[in-house]
Amino acid sequence: MDEQACPRCKTTKYRNPSLKLMVNVCGHALCDSCVDLLFLKGSGSCPDCGVPLRRSNFRVQIFEDPFVEKEMDIRRRVMRDYNLKEEDFANLQDYNNYLEEVERIVYNLTNNIEIVSTNQSIDRFKRENKDLIAKNRIRSGREEIILEELLEEEKILVESRKRAIAHEEMLEKKKKMRSKEALIDELMFSEQSAASIVETFKKRKLEEQEEMERHREPSPPPLVAATQFSTGIKFSQRIPKDGFLPVPKEDDTPLFKYEPLVLTRNGPSAPTWEEVTEKKYINHVRESSVVERAGGYLPQLACLRALEEAFDGLRTVAVARWTGQVA
Amino acid sequence: MFSTSTQKKYWLFADESELLKARSEANAKFVASHGPKMTEEERNEILDANEEKALLKFYELQLRDFCRRFEPPMPRSVAGTAFHYFKRFYLIHSVMDYHPKEILVTCVYLATKVDEFNVSIDQFVRNVKGNQTKAMDIILNNELLLMQVLNYNLTIHNPFRPIEGLLIDIKTRGTMVDPERLRPGIEDFLDKAFLTSAPLLVAPSQLALAAVLHSVSKIGENLDNYVTKTLLGDSSSEALASLVEAVRKVRSMIKSMESSPKEVIRVLEKRLEKCRNQENNPDSEIYKKRQFEALHDEDEKYGSDFPSLIMSGDLKLGEGIFEINKSMTSP
Repeated sequence: MDEQACPRCKTTKYRNPSLKLMVNVCGHALCDSCVDLLFLKGSGSCPDCGVPLRRSNFRVQIFEDPFVEKEMDIRRRVMRDYNLKEEDFANLQDYNNYLEEVERIVYNLTNNIEIVSTNQSIDRFKRENKDLIAKNRIRSGREEIILEELLEEEKILVESRKRAIAHEEMLEKKKKMRSKEALIDELMFSEQSAASIVETFKKRKLEEQEEMERHREPSPPPLVAATQFSTGIKFSQRIPKDGFLPVPKEDDTPLFKYEPLVLTRNGPSAPTWEEVTEKKYINHVRESSVVERAGGYLPQLACLRALEEAFDGLRTVAVARWTGQVA
Repeated sequence: MFSTSTQKKYWLFADESELLKARSEANAKFVASHGPKMTEEERNEILDANEEKALLKFYELQLRDFCRRFEPPMPRSVAGTAFHYFKRFYLIHSVMDYHPKEILVTCVYLATKVDEFNVSIDQFVRNVKGNQTKAMDIILNNELLLMQVLNYNLTIHNPFRPIEGLLIDIKTRGTMVDPERLRPGIEDFLDKAFLTSAPLLVAPSQLALAAVLHSVSKIGENLDNYVTKTLLGDSSSEALASLVEAVRKVRSMIKSMESSPKEVIRVLEKRLEKCRNQENNPDSEIYKKRQFEALHDEDEKYGSDFPSLIMSGDLKLGEGIFEINKSMTSP
């Protein structure tokens, strides 16, 4: 429900909640009946800002805030030209600068700041990177087609499944109706007693059910979308699942080299693991219970930890001066 | 490890004069920013650095008692951590800016979390006297502030494990008979040490050594041989000298510790009530108004859908807040 009314015919929004607001490039919204009225001739001007507009530029409003719609429009236009990807840049810093540049442009255009200089920078960028832009356009075009094909396949699968289920249900219903009619016919025309007829029918129904369960008809295989020629050559744009993987890139990062941990200890050194038992430090620590030992805890751990903490920092000389820390 | 910790890098100061500098700076900052806003009579009540110190000492005693009487019984390292946080906080902010009563409980709560002595907030406030829901609100509101002021340096190295280590070492390499006799003296010393500024000036292992030596001299024996030969046998004489200096500093701080009489404290507390920063006082009008406005901003954000969003349970708010809004937005 929109709390805003169409700026022209204000009453119509409350009366008809299904009325949609259409927004244009200047960011002002109009309900669709007002659009019809104003743009009968095909072109007119926005009632709020007087900017000349065309009817084709109206889009159904998705967001409540027309400012957001305007920004979305501008962004779409800008991104058609600024479509470089991360691989087109030498390092991360450049890519980030590029992204910030895009944001600055969109912001300027949306808030009507420095429109002239912003448009000039757009033109400059277009001229300098003409081929990169063209290449990326082709690439993204291809990707879109691949995605569409995937979606199509999924849709077909879902539909065929739905059809199969509906078909089965229909068959069941028909069968039930037929058996009912047969029962009624028998009751009307046969000479046996009513009870025995009902009995026979019941038995037959049970038999049929068991038969059904024993062999379920295999449902017809779902129709597969035509993705290959009869000779087996595939004609989709997508790289097949078990096709060739791209060649792994040259990795220039250095290999991991183990460097043992160096502890800076401002004090006398604590005994090692073996010394703790040899030199009988361990006698002064509580023995570990069976439960603790199962978890991997040994009394040497506690002993060593206490000793290390006792010796660590004994030679510390505090030198920090108060420098007015962050509040 | 202490040597590589932030405690040593950022929170261990050269001597008391640095701490004094910090505290007077905090005091001056408060006076400069809030003095002009206060009335004449409020300005007369402003506390100076010494009075703040006395108040803080009193509240540290409260902190100690709070931790002692805590249910379930709290390990001493949690109390030690809380003390550290408390001292650090009031190096940066003035007592008049944030009331020590509130910061006290927040420090303990944060310490229980950091030290892995898990207590739910409900169980925690059961130990607090007075209005417990109010206490819960205060603690939860101040927790993030406390962490920010501490610059997120939350790991504290306490002297308790170094004590154990030293005792083990004395039993193994020293020549003393039954070092267990030292424990009561050590505990007593550490209790007093946490009430001074010692933890901000010396390393925890040095503090532990000071405690052991004090206890040793109390029972009339002498461990100097052990210290010089066995403990520091392999290191230089200046290391020994600096260690001796540190230990001496701590011991003298403990000896010169004095606490003010209750009457003085009561007067100071009254003055604090008058001159404190009302924006941070949960009982004041300004604070409540600010909270109210904060909720109203939320109202603007969601527009007229606010009531339906709440009804459908999509938007959840705290209990007290929910009641206020319901009465405001229901037809």
